[in-house]
Amino acid sequence: MAVTQAPTRELTPEPRGRLLVWLTTTDHKKIGILYLVNSFSFFTVGGIFALLMRTELARPGQQLIGAHAYNELFTIHGTLMIFLVIFPILAGLGNYFVPLQIGALDMAFPRINALSFWLLPVGGLTILSGFLAKGGAAACGWTCYAPLNEQLGTGVDLWLAGLILVGTASILGAINFIVTILRMRAPGMTMMRLPVFVWGILATSLLVILATPVFTAGLIMLFADRRLGTSFFDPAHGGVALLWQNVFWFFGHPEVYMLILGAWGVVTEILSVFSGRPIFSYRGVVLSFLMITALSFTVWAHHMFATGAVELPFFSITTELISIPTGVLFFVWLGTLWKGKLRFEVPMLFALGFIALFLIGGIDGVWAASPAMDFAIHDTYWVVAHLHYVLFGGTLFGIMAGMYYWFPKMSGRMLSRKLGQWHFWLQFIGFNVTFFPMHILGLRGMPRRIADYAPDRGWSFLNLVSTIGAFLIAISLLIFFANVLTTLRKPRSAPADPWRANTLEWATSSPPPPHNFDALPAIHSGRPVYDARVAEAGPTDRGSR
Amino acid sequence: MGSSPLPVTRTRIARLAAASALLLLTGCAKEGISPQGQEVHRLFVIIMILAAPVFLGVEAVLIWCIVRYRKRDDDPAPQTVGGSRSLVVFFAIPAVIIAVLFPFGEATLMNIERRETPQVQIKVEGFQWEWTFLYLNEGLFVAGKTLVRPAVMVLPVDEPVQIQLVSRDVIHSFFVPDLLFKRDAIPGRTTTFTFTPTQLGTFHGQCAEFCGLWHSRMTFDVKVVAPLDYQAWIKQQRKKAQGITCEPQGTTLSLIAHNISWNQFCLAVPANTPFTVDITNQDVGIQHNFSIYDSFFEKKKYFTSPRITGPDSETLNANPLPPGHYYFQCDVHGPAMSGAFIVK
Repeated sequence: MAVTQAPTRELTPEPRGRLLVWLTTTDHKKIGILYLVNSFSFFTVGGIFALLMRTELARPGQQLIGAHAYNELFTIHGTLMIFLVIFPILAGLGNYFVPLQIGALDMAFPRINALSFWLLPVGGLTILSGFLAKGGAAACGWTCYAPLNEQLGTGVDLWLAGLILVGTASILGAINFIVTILRMRAPGMTMMRLPVFVWGILATSLLVILATPVFTAGLIMLFADRRLGTSFFDPAHGGVALLWQNVFWFFGHPEVYMLILGAWGVVTEILSVFSGRPIFSYRGVVLSFLMITALSFTVWAHHMFATGAVELPFFSITTELISIPTGVLFFVWLGTLWKGKLRFEVPMLFALGFIALFLIGGIDGVWAASPAMDFAIHDTYWVVAHLHYVLFGGTLFGIMAGMYYWFPKMSGRMLSRKLGQWHFWLQFIGFNVTFFPMHILGLRGMPRRIADYAPDRGWSFLNLVSTIGAFLIAISLLIFFANVLTTLRKPRSAPADPWRANTLEWATSSPPPPHNFDALPAIHSGRPVYDARVAEAGPTDRGSR
Repeated sequence: MGSSPLPVTRTRIARLAAASALLLLTGCAKEGISPQGQEVHRLFVIIMILAAPVFLGVEAVLIWCIVRYRKRDDDPAPQTVGGSRSLVVFFAIPAVIIAVLFPFGEATLMNIERRETPQVQIKVEGFQWEWTFLYLNEGLFVAGKTLVRPAVMVLPVDEPVQIQLVSRDVIHSFFVPDLLFKRDAIPGRTTTFTFTPTQLGTFHGQCAEFCGLWHSRMTFDVKVVAPLDYQAWIKQQRKKAQGITCEPQGTTLSLIAHNISWNQFCLAVPANTPFTVDITNQDVGIQHNFSIYDSFFEKKKYFTSPRITGPDSETLNANPLPPGHYYFQCDVHGPAMSGAFIVK
């Protein structure tokens, strides 16, 4: 077995104090963990906001929170979940595992890596600090449409400042990922042997450097409108309100794919590992990722069908075209499972749940892609259902699959399988109870972003059901956090490769040493660890196939 | 092999559950009170017919794999992968579905966007946070009062209605679920669309684009009535508008704006005499002003004050006016904050 000796790096002596280590680290693995800790903290905040909203909506009439507070909550809930939870969790997993999966020592620019992480908590806290400002936090929705965004108080300025920081962080991070993936691969790790998760992160990073600067420019323009007397977006002073929507969604739709490409990568890898089969069509996955990356820049105005100010057939067909590469992914996933030897470990449960739920999120988007139909369901709870089936049923289930899959690698400890199963089933059931009824609410005409509704609209019962589901989700997540915290107290006992996996991160100890690899296995395919395992078992053990 | 009848039963149950979920969705969809809305409902069902097999197929294969391919022994799974041919098939199948689906959507779009010669023309103004409906041919308007009463749009049945949609401040969206239609009201733009209500009754509508604090209360009703009732309603509204009158009480007017409405609906001053207006705006953070026009068509403007952000007050001097029947309003909120201005 050919072994490539990884170059050893002189390790700086450990600085005093564990806290200082975490504050000053440039190790991609530590930074990856910082990303996760930070993101799950904001996830808790955003989740509590969601519970408050669901509790308020459980019955018609105002019970718990007033209209203004409700408007703040859904704004900050959306902003946190998108910019400070889902995206940075994927970026954190990327930080930890991209260098490991390509056999590198670290990210290409370790200090920029630290910077792009530390901008995140600062940005997130800036956004949250709006609650302390006069007039409260931004209360304009995460899309914060013009010219409403010109009216509101300091909370919007803090929201803008926070997002500019977070956007800058993601641009820096994306450049870092691209350079790392293009320049730091181990010998033998060709582009077409990259793990699919790395492809997901690469595609995400391309989207970030093409789309996020546009958004950041938009944020600065809005700030200038609000504080420097320009009028890009304010029609009362000669601006164009729809310009904001065009800028926002030119970024905002690619953003959706930034939020899911990484999760697709995680799920594809996990399906392959736990069915004991290679990915049914690796080329199909890579091709789909790249097609979606390209197509995602042509669909933004499907968020604007109801404005009556966009070219409907064009944006309708481009949107529907995206379902072609997405459909290919489903075929690849099912093809990978087909005739496999499925092991229902917790990561696999979440990956299978992902397929079942993301399918619904993909299909219910088809209605919204047809403009005539979209006029009926746009800005209703149908869309709330759709986006949560994509970002929660899809991405968050994918993220959870990844957390259970990689937790042993990151911590050296296996999460409890039993608690993991409880977590999965409660989250799966709770998710559907919460979000499926929202389709029907949307068809019955319940608009999104309303703090209250009248009892005579026929929305009350389903809202109550949805609220019950939200608490089931909350319980499932408490189980997850309990699982993580109790497991972290146990001794490190996880083997290097507990799952019989395929990719390079499993070729090193759990957790990996600071320099990642003592020795790299030879890389002759996209599954170097699988190859090594087969070679070790000897040819006689291989079965007849 | 170990494929018991169990998987089949489970698959069947799953299929049944899925099919009933889809039926539930179709059953809950509104069917529309206008030919346009019914077209959209038809499109909803067509997409459902195309989507249901995809949903059921994928979930069935998924469940089949879960049941059938559970790891039962230590033999390695086959290491086969798909070739180029299967990839082509994977791309082709969704492409065909899209090719079938897209024309249906376009046909519906063309049908609902077909313009009819309108019998009723209504300018719909959205403002924070209610609606004003100006009946352009009849020369009258109805306005909602924020947090107090929603605006009611009375329409004759079976007559094409043209809506000219505008906004006075931020983006709103005119949404009537039973029409299966919404359109954004965008400041700086007029958007026009038509529909024909064919069903009698009162139907709820609501702003569908988040527009600030009381977005959730920005509701309205569409009341579809028989043509005779419509004529009677028009007459009654006209009489009501003309019936408003009041007498001059000196040359100082004082007006209070509170909860986005004036404390008076009729103001009067003596003819050809200068007068002063005291305006008190009690609405915190909300702007109001005071303007005098010939009528709500705003063809001629006689007086206008700067905008006052509440809480604040201001005293303004106005030039004399010849005798006549005028109209005053707050330009921020339009006819919803208006009244008769009489010069005698």
